[in-house]
Amino acid sequence: MANHTSTQASFENQTTWAGGRSPFNVSYGKLMMWIFLLSDAFTFSTLLVQYGTQRFSNVVTPITTKWPDPASIFNHFPFMHGLHLPLLFVSVMTFILILSSVTMVLAVEAGHRKSKSEVARYMIYTIIGGIAFLSCQAWEWYTFIHEGARLDGNTFGITKQGYDHLHSVGFGDHFEWADGDRTFGPVPFAALFFIVTGFHGFHVFSGVVINVVVYIMTVRGVFERRGHYEMIEKAGLYWHFVDLVWVFVFTFFYLI
Amino acid sequence: MEFYNKPGDYDAINYIPHTESHGTKELWKTFWLLLGITVLDFVIYFVMPASGWRNFIFIFFGLVKAYYIVGAFMHLKHEKINLALVILVPMVFVLGLISGLLYEGSALEVMKSM
Repeated sequence: MANHTSTQASFENQTTWAGGRSPFNVSYGKLMMWIFLLSDAFTFSTLLVQYGTQRFSNVVTPITTKWPDPASIFNHFPFMHGLHLPLLFVSVMTFILILSSVTMVLAVEAGHRKSKSEVARYMIYTIIGGIAFLSCQAWEWYTFIHEGARLDGNTFGITKQGYDHLHSVGFGDHFEWADGDRTFGPVPFAALFFIVTGFHGFHVFSGVVINVVVYIMTVRGVFERRGHYEMIEKAGLYWHFVDLVWVFVFTFFYLI
Repeated sequence: MEFYNKPGDYDAINYIPHTESHGTKELWKTFWLLLGITVLDFVIYFVMPASGWRNFIFIFFGLVKAYYIVGAFMHLKHEKINLALVILVPMVFVLGLISGLLYEGSALEVMKSM
């Protein structure tokens, strides 16, 4: 390493795109994480394209609501059985994910100050948030499957009677499906729900695993010895991307 | 892989820029903004009857949330502009495709019933 200083100088003298240095002024690992996230964004986009096309080619007709109003389907809340609480549970899930995003970015910030104990604490909060979100999703899937939704079938084709029934109950009222409310609806509704939320849930799961690994590395002092906490930033990029995807899943699947 | 684990070592591939904390103020501001927009989503869903305009509002709010997550949380606002462009420009085309197919979906519906 005798000529270390001269090597450094020769790198810095090169022009931006001449090679030997990062034209984006970020490390290799961080740049690759961004490129991976871009490709992952394309993957999710194809699913949302599919969903959008199916959603708007199966709209309301005068006789039946072919595509169910999603929030009316996901109207359950744990420990409040039989009450009509559309959108509430998903909003809580959204809140959990936003909160865990904040603790993640606070861990990144603590990493910039090289404060090992704070990084570890915020990583624990983030991991708890991720597990809480996954539990919520598991409960939602369980309820949805229990009510008759399958990957290859959809019993949520809402008839005119069911449509009127749904719109006669207020927020928080008791609600139960009556005979003739539901018929077989478009298969893509349930299939795309399971595929997209499942794919997103798998990303959350991977994110939790990555966060646990990074947490263990933090506690064992790997980053302290390395001299920087950039690995927290990379894990954070992935975690925020998962939150970002959820913003669009929430918009397209529950709101629209 | 020892050589780049030591602080101060310069290596082109594993180049680590100097990082400093910008404080937590912007992060908490972003959090309250995201929370506020989500609450607004919730309220609009119940107050406004379903319509194309309401969908437009929801998608617009989604994009606003995306801007703040990518800009503040993922720190893209503070990266070099060419990195931001490499990531954002393709996504503009993808968003165009999604909104286009949302619209074309309605046309498919009409064609199926013909």
